[in-house]
Amino acid sequence: MELYSYKQDKFFIVKVSGRMDAITAPEFEKSCLGWIEQGDSALVVDLEGLEYMSSAGLRSILIVGKKLKSVGGSLSFSSLTPNVAHVFSISSFGSMFPVYDSLEKALGNS
Amino acid sequence: MKNRGLAFKLILFTLSGTMAVFLSAFAYFYVSSKDSMTKCVEENARNLTHSTVHQIEKVLEGVQKVPLNYASLLSARNFEAGDIAGLVERMVSTNLEIYGAAIAFEPDALAAGAYYFAPYCYRKDDGHLMNVMLGDESYHYFTMDWYQIPRELNRAAWTEPYYDEGGGNMIMATFSVPFYKGKDAEKRFQGVVTADIALHGLQQIVSAIRLYRSGYAFLISRNGVFITHPDSRLVMTNSIFSIAEVKNSSLLRRIGKDMINGGEGLAALESGLLLPDKCRLYYAPLSSIGWSLGVVIPEHELLEGVHRLGRMVILIGLAGVFLMTIIVMLIARRITRPLKDLSAATVEIARGDLDAKLPDIQRGDEIGALARSFEEMRLALKDYIKHLTETTSAKERIESELKIARNIQMSFLPRAFPPLTGKNPMEISARLEPAREIGGDLYDYSLIDDDHLFFAVGDVSDKGIPAALFMAVTKTLLKGIAETGLDPARILNRCNLELCGENDSMMFVTVFCGVLDLRTGRLKYSNAGHEPPVIVRRDAQPEFLPVPEGFLLGVEEESSYQTMEIELEPGDKLIVYTDGVTEAVNAAGEFYSHANLMATVRSCWSLSVEGIATEILGSVKLFSLGIPQADDITVLALSFAGAEV
Repeated sequence: MELYSYKQDKFFIVKVSGRMDAITAPEFEKSCLGWIEQGDSALVVDLEGLEYMSSAGLRSILIVGKKLKSVGGSLSFSSLTPNVAHVFSISSFGSMFPVYDSLEKALGNS
Repeated sequence: MKNRGLAFKLILFTLSGTMAVFLSAFAYFYVSSKDSMTKCVEENARNLTHSTVHQIEKVLEGVQKVPLNYASLLSARNFEAGDIAGLVERMVSTNLEIYGAAIAFEPDALAAGAYYFAPYCYRKDDGHLMNVMLGDESYHYFTMDWYQIPRELNRAAWTEPYYDEGGGNMIMATFSVPFYKGKDAEKRFQGVVTADIALHGLQQIVSAIRLYRSGYAFLISRNGVFITHPDSRLVMTNSIFSIAEVKNSSLLRRIGKDMINGGEGLAALESGLLLPDKCRLYYAPLSSIGWSLGVVIPEHELLEGVHRLGRMVILIGLAGVFLMTIIVMLIARRITRPLKDLSAATVEIARGDLDAKLPDIQRGDEIGALARSFEEMRLALKDYIKHLTETTSAKERIESELKIARNIQMSFLPRAFPPLTGKNPMEISARLEPAREIGGDLYDYSLIDDDHLFFAVGDVSDKGIPAALFMAVTKTLLKGIAETGLDPARILNRCNLELCGENDSMMFVTVFCGVLDLRTGRLKYSNAGHEPPVIVRRDAQPEFLPVPEGFLLGVEEESSYQTMEIELEPGDKLIVYTDGVTEAVNAAGEFYSHANLMATVRSCWSLSVEGIATEILGSVKLFSLGIPQADDITVLALSFAGAEV
């Protein structure tokens, strides 16, 4: 898993690629919590390069989401690959978090 | 050699090096000192020979001078017959080197009628002088060498040495000088003036020459006859040529010729010629008398000094080597003893006795460092082993606890369906394969009442002990709630509320659960974020069961769940599974996927429920052969037979 992050306007954009599983998810979680700690509360996670997400990945997202909720921030996702979209759909993550087709739409709608 | 000890090698290498240096130094020393010694001895021999020759020549010249003077006196003046005897006596009395002297005249040269006239005076043993008249019928002196040779040669000459039987019975040589009357063409031979010299004086001079132990000097006459020689039997009886003849030595003959021809030189002679051993001969001429002096130096005595010195050097060298051996041995032992001790101790350590005492080596050198390193290694090993033992026992304890936990977890799960009385409207079977000892997957089924079967499959979002605990809670909740009502959505709602509580770790569980009416085949079901099951209708292709949307349990208190319904026909089958099936990975990193699952179901759907569960599990395991199982795998298969069966 690789993380690439940058700030654009009020958004803090995190591009995730590779696999997010039990081994890599804690890194995602820790990084995101770090950024939230620094005051970035509008996270847009772009999953264009993410091939696989396990339940551990979902859990990390839930933890990050809960943290953002407590600080009044927002968490949205964009550019889901079919695999990840399937996981999102089965676990109904789509009903919990806003999901967009592209990063531009995510930035435009948030 | 390879297996020899360090001490042996040290001694061997040190000594062979030392010996090589010593031997080459010794060889150089021997050769060069032999050379210089030989040169020195030759020089000495030459000097000795020359000084002896000079000494003898001086004596001879002293003797020669006297008759020469008297001859010129007689040539210059006329003497009365009566005066001659006085002259002779004076010659002897005033010259101690002269043993005897004579003035011998030609027949009738001094006075008519005196055929023989030769007054002779000699020194007796007691020192008194004796005057005699030579010449009579028995002693016809005109034919004697001492008279005839100067007369014929018209010059002064020495005779060959001879035994004087008449006088002192000793070896003598005579110097004769002719004298004349008139001048030039008128010159007439009148007679000779002679002076005898006793050779024992010369013999003493020569025999005084002693070189080393057996070296000596000798004199030979013009004919090569020995005049002096340490072996007195040779004197006057043998010549250098007779020895050359006896020994058959052409070298000695050649040397003899050179000697009597007035040559000077140095020669190396074989053993047995002039000495029993090899020797060197130095010779030089006594030119005034035509004799030759030879000095013989035995070679082994000549080099004796060198040999003695050599023996001494070898002795010192050997003593040095011996001393060095001892020193090297001591050093080697000093080095190897602690090494041996250390080696013995390390053998103990290697056998596993980490409390083995290492020898106490208080040294600042490499051995001391080695010993300290060993001690540190021993302590480190001991620590490590201790730590390892603790870790191992802790691990064993955890493992055994996990084993127990697994047994407990497995015993939660329904093993065989409780036998139904009379009829058997459905069959159900499930398999659960945790990735570790214990896992987070769960399944359950039970009869709520006579006509209703509750079943559920769940997947906790993690593995291991936390997941197992969460799984246990979930399963207990599900079963407890299910027994109070029949609606799956309500079951999930209540279960979610219970699980949410204080769930800071955001652990969640996905659940598919259903309630089957065994009389009618009506299946009510609900889903909380779980994989949709596969339904196999009789005489139709298997397909995924449409499921209501529902968020996973344990995270969001406000999540709500819906119930959906379908009618199962007799022979229909339902297969519920967890994502451990579809997300199993093979060696190429590919997922087992829903497509593979469908294919497997198509190939095995006609089997019994046990058969289907086992077949799917086997297919997944075969797919990810050699890859460690990443997630728990659960398969539950249900078959509806119908109430009328």
